[in-house]
Amino acid sequence: MNEWVFDSLPPAPESRQGERQSRFGWRVSQITRLGVKSIFSHGLRSMLTVLGIVIGVAAVIAMLAVSEGASFEAQQQFRDLGANNILVKSVKPAEVEETSRLGFGPPQAIVYGLTHADIQTIRDTIPGVSNVVSSRIVKKNVWNLGHSMNADVVGTAVDYPVSRNYDLRDGRFFSDSEMRDHDNVVVLSQEAADVLFPIENPLGQSVRIDSDYYDVVGIMESEGFSNLGQNQAGASNSAPARVFIPLTSSRSRFGETTTRQTAGGVESETVELHEAVIQVEDQESVIAIGEVIDQILQRRHRDVDYTIEIPLALLRQAEESALRDQIVAGAIAGISLLVGGIGIMNIMLASVTERTREIGIRRALGARKADIVTQFLVEAVILSAVGGLIGVVLGITIPFFISTFWGMTTIVTPVAPILAFSISAMIGVIFGIYPSMRAADMDPVEALRHE
Amino acid sequence: MPALQASKQNATRPPGQNLRVASVADVSKTYYMGSLAVEVLHGISLDFYGGDYISIMGPSGCGKSTLMNILGCLDRPTTGTYYLGGEDTSQLKDDELSLIRGARLGFIFQSYNLIQQLDVLENIEMPLFYQGFSQAYSHRAAYQLAERVGLADRIHHKPFELSGGQQQRVAIARALAMDPLIILADEPTGNLDSRSGMEILDLFDELHKAGKTLILVTHSDELAERTSRRIRLLDGRVEQDERMGV
Repeated sequence: MNEWVFDSLPPAPESRQGERQSRFGWRVSQITRLGVKSIFSHGLRSMLTVLGIVIGVAAVIAMLAVSEGASFEAQQQFRDLGANNILVKSVKPAEVEETSRLGFGPPQAIVYGLTHADIQTIRDTIPGVSNVVSSRIVKKNVWNLGHSMNADVVGTAVDYPVSRNYDLRDGRFFSDSEMRDHDNVVVLSQEAADVLFPIENPLGQSVRIDSDYYDVVGIMESEGFSNLGQNQAGASNSAPARVFIPLTSSRSRFGETTTRQTAGGVESETVELHEAVIQVEDQESVIAIGEVIDQILQRRHRDVDYTIEIPLALLRQAEESALRDQIVAGAIAGISLLVGGIGIMNIMLASVTERTREIGIRRALGARKADIVTQFLVEAVILSAVGGLIGVVLGITIPFFISTFWGMTTIVTPVAPILAFSISAMIGVIFGIYPSMRAADMDPVEALRHE
Repeated sequence: MPALQASKQNATRPPGQNLRVASVADVSKTYYMGSLAVEVLHGISLDFYGGDYISIMGPSGCGKSTLMNILGCLDRPTTGTYYLGGEDTSQLKDDELSLIRGARLGFIFQSYNLIQQLDVLENIEMPLFYQGFSQAYSHRAAYQLAERVGLADRIHHKPFELSGGQQQRVAIARALAMDPLIILADEPTGNLDSRSGMEILDLFDELHKAGKTLILVTHSDELAERTSRRIRLLDGRVEQDERMGV
């Protein structure tokens, strides 16, 4: 008389056999559609939320691209100077300058800088030095008929182009025999050739420096980065272009003392060599040899009238500072992503409160806690994934515009967008969990009563 | 067994039917507001049989809603047991209660409680969705239900595009989706004008004739007069439980 209509629980949702379409597919599509609907029903609010993530992701990618590009550029500059090289340059010592200014009487030549003996000592005493290319740099006017320009006339050795990773564009560099014979031959830089020979081919022509004519035998490619070392040594007085003649010719034509008209009168200085590129066989020992050279020069010079530059050390420094830049950039971008995540959490909490009644209805109609969690979590992930996607697109285009309009090198590595996007998706999950749990933990009775 | 005792106490068994669908046995419910304990239900025992058409009436605060929440597995009794389809619901975990709500119970609310972003069809098939039915089956079932409540031409309308009466019919279709053991309706005509209310009540009569078990909570005598068993609550106790005619 008291039989029950049913004796057991209904089958669990998972155990139902789907007809044609799997339950999982329906579930995902349904929940996603629902999420998209509720996002669109609060268009402005969702857009502002997404904006936080967009900015974060775009910032991560753009900042990484810019700092990557900057560090690449810096490293390229130092690499052009040669990773195996040590640059030694003559510098006018500060005290000498002072005394000469205060002194009365006829101008005296200031003697400073590297000497041939220094170079000889370095070449002979330090093992592992494969070559030394020393140069004299004299500022002169170079003429071709009516065209003239102020240029650094670099008297140097035949190995100069090799030591500086600096290639010929046309013709040849001067030869050993021309070096030996103090010949009047000149190699123009691209910039000098453009000014002096605007129309005709400079090869085979000649240019005049002071009263001597020099045959043009070659043209170097555009100076570009390789001029950097030069600029660092004396940025203020470096000429716009350089021409190259044999070191021997430079000594015999110009002598070792140069005289210059200055505000205070006439100033003359005697410098044997202005710079030397010391090539080291093994890249590992570059820094150590740099120290040895410093010790040798310290012993041989009364004043510190030289500087030693080691591109490799500068490269290392550049790499270090690039890493630091990237960490700083990454931290800033990370903070903006975090703020974006908090934005998502905020909107999800608002959404949960607003939809309390819906949660109650769904719970009454058979939704389990997990179903509610999934619904809200999917919504949070959609928000952040959409933001991430837009951010990736922006993050890739911004560096492109920076490159085109500001001429900065930017490099978007594939890692950056992938990293930024997955972080944004993760943020959706992390900052979506708490609001979703709160939604699921609501008491159905209370939720249904909510206005 | 408390269930048996409950059935003994209850003299209102429908003629010709002897299948119990649910029973509350000595159920009481106490709410705690801070240190203050308020007992809303004082040991209620009731048996519900298949095909029952029940109205629960009583003044505000008599415990109608609390009883409905317990019957709807939305709330648990403080003491006593609620059996639904032979299952002791006090033993069930939260997920199982969700399952039972979706599969064995149909809810109809005073304010319809449709989800505004979803259209008529999607609202009707929601219980099927949570029970894990396939999309194809759910669509078909939901369409048939929409037809049955006379909304076949409105299936892609949103709730706010429908009149109150139409919305309540969507809610009824939704409640029928899983062919539940009991349909629970809380003031189903409370928000409707008299004509729409009548239409809804006619629909209830139809469901009753089709053999469904309905429990209606109401203030309206008009509604109560249509039911075959009238339960009156007063101060958390059953004051009156009578079965009308045949």
